[in-house]
Amino acid sequence: MSFPKKPGGKAFEILKTLPRITLANLRPEPGSQKEGKRRGRGQHGGNRSGRGHKGERQRGTRPRLGFEGGQTPFYLVIPKYGYNEGHSRRPQYQPLSLKHLQYLIDLGRIDPTQPIDLTQLVNARGVTVQPLKRDFGVQLVDEGADIFAAKINIEVQRASETAIAAIERNGGVITTSFYDPISLGILIKPVPFFTRGQPIPKRMLPGEDMVPYYADADNRGYLADAAKIQQARLALAQKYGYILPDISKDKLYHMLAMRKDVRQIFFGLSPGWVVNMPEKKILKPTDEKLLKYYNS
Amino acid sequence: MAASMLCRRAAVLCQTLNGISPPKSLLYANSKCGLVFQAATYNPKPLKLNIHRPYIPDKDDEKTPEWQKTAKYDAKLYGRYGSVSGLDPASLWPSPARLDAIIAEENEWHPPLEVMLKNIAEKEAEETAKRLAKEKLIAANMAKMPKMIEDWRREKREAKQKQKEQKAQRSLLLVKARERFGYAVDPRSHKFLEMVAEIEKEEKKQKKLMKRRLKEEKAAAAAPPVASS
Repeated sequence: MSFPKKPGGKAFEILKTLPRITLANLRPEPGSQKEGKRRGRGQHGGNRSGRGHKGERQRGTRPRLGFEGGQTPFYLVIPKYGYNEGHSRRPQYQPLSLKHLQYLIDLGRIDPTQPIDLTQLVNARGVTVQPLKRDFGVQLVDEGADIFAAKINIEVQRASETAIAAIERNGGVITTSFYDPISLGILIKPVPFFTRGQPIPKRMLPGEDMVPYYADADNRGYLADAAKIQQARLALAQKYGYILPDISKDKLYHMLAMRKDVRQIFFGLSPGWVVNMPEKKILKPTDEKLLKYYNS
Repeated sequence: MAASMLCRRAAVLCQTLNGISPPKSLLYANSKCGLVFQAATYNPKPLKLNIHRPYIPDKDDEKTPEWQKTAKYDAKLYGRYGSVSGLDPASLWPSPARLDAIIAEENEWHPPLEVMLKNIAEKEAEETAKRLAKEKLIAANMAKMPKMIEDWRREKREAKQKQKEQKAQRSLLLVKARERFGYAVDPRSHKFLEMVAEIEKEEKKQKKLMKRRLKEEKAAAAAPPVASS
């Protein structure tokens, strides 16, 4: 004789008959909320109320932070030097380790079967980029290069050599590209931009100081020659001692070969288009001058 | 077993996330028990565009604030409500005059890639030229160095030699003066100086005599052979 066992049993029966949960039925776990100190009350909180005995401590007239009784304080003794000079004009790149990238891919927050962009990284809450704080994007960092095992098509703003090697070793593709601050703001928050009703702007080219970086094949820059990039891939494989997989024979070759145009911000959207979010429409300009400007 | 559990859990997760269509893409993760499906989705914040009760301000009314009558605000209305806002989409793009201004600004402040590369190449060439010139100069000077060192050393040696000789002469004169006068004379006194002057005169005379003798000897040596031949 075997009776079918109900999951939960008696507890389930009781739960069914209990009243609904309201504020009147709830109470915090005993010991979870500690009472705060109340000064000036009772034997322990009263008398001097935790202020000490006489002097500036009790009377609350202590001098400012850093004051050393008249001796030249530490923060004035040390002479000035231009370590932080022009710090607000220096471009910053939010670091993204390969370990964290692998973590995001493993958890399913980033899709490796689609090209990975800064938009995807921000949507997955993998990085937080603040264009207003002189952030110019994301940089790939070596940490986790030995455990990285994902074939991806990723686009970042800066990457170290080891990171490039780690990605290409797994048959992936990495590109470094430049986004000027306005384009960056649009890239990380596309939906608020589309609700602004502006046409998608052209991505500006980097300044003269950054052009050498992005025109160099060793950095996989987006302005570099394709042939030179292939040579650089081979050279890097030789340097780090791995066999470069042939991506042209890959199933996902079409996805891995997807790259943005120099002036494009989004995959599939050209500069000059207006996105109508509520009606899910895209408006494209037809005027020749406008087309010429947006396609230049 | 684990794979199937994961599958079921993933499927349940997909169903409970409301408003999300079935996963846009499926991840394939290799595990020991074989291929495992993993759903790649995220839950975006609901976009509250308020389409069904839009607020479109009345342009002719005085009470509407000025900033709600600007073109920028109209564009935002269009972006938010679409064609319900009643805006002509053609006004979203810059007008011809504005476009001209934009193009002029871009040509001035954002040179094309070729121009930038040319500038960079020029700067690099200039720098390399400077560096090479400097290095050349240094190399040339370094080549001259051994000779200059030798010259300097020679001069120092000669100067030292001269000094030594002078000192020796001075000490000889002092000794002579000592013999002559009988006591150590101060070299600065006028007696000493007179003595020195006398000695010099005598030496000059001797030299002249020597020269004359030499000349006579030469003349004597030259005359007899001529006479004999």
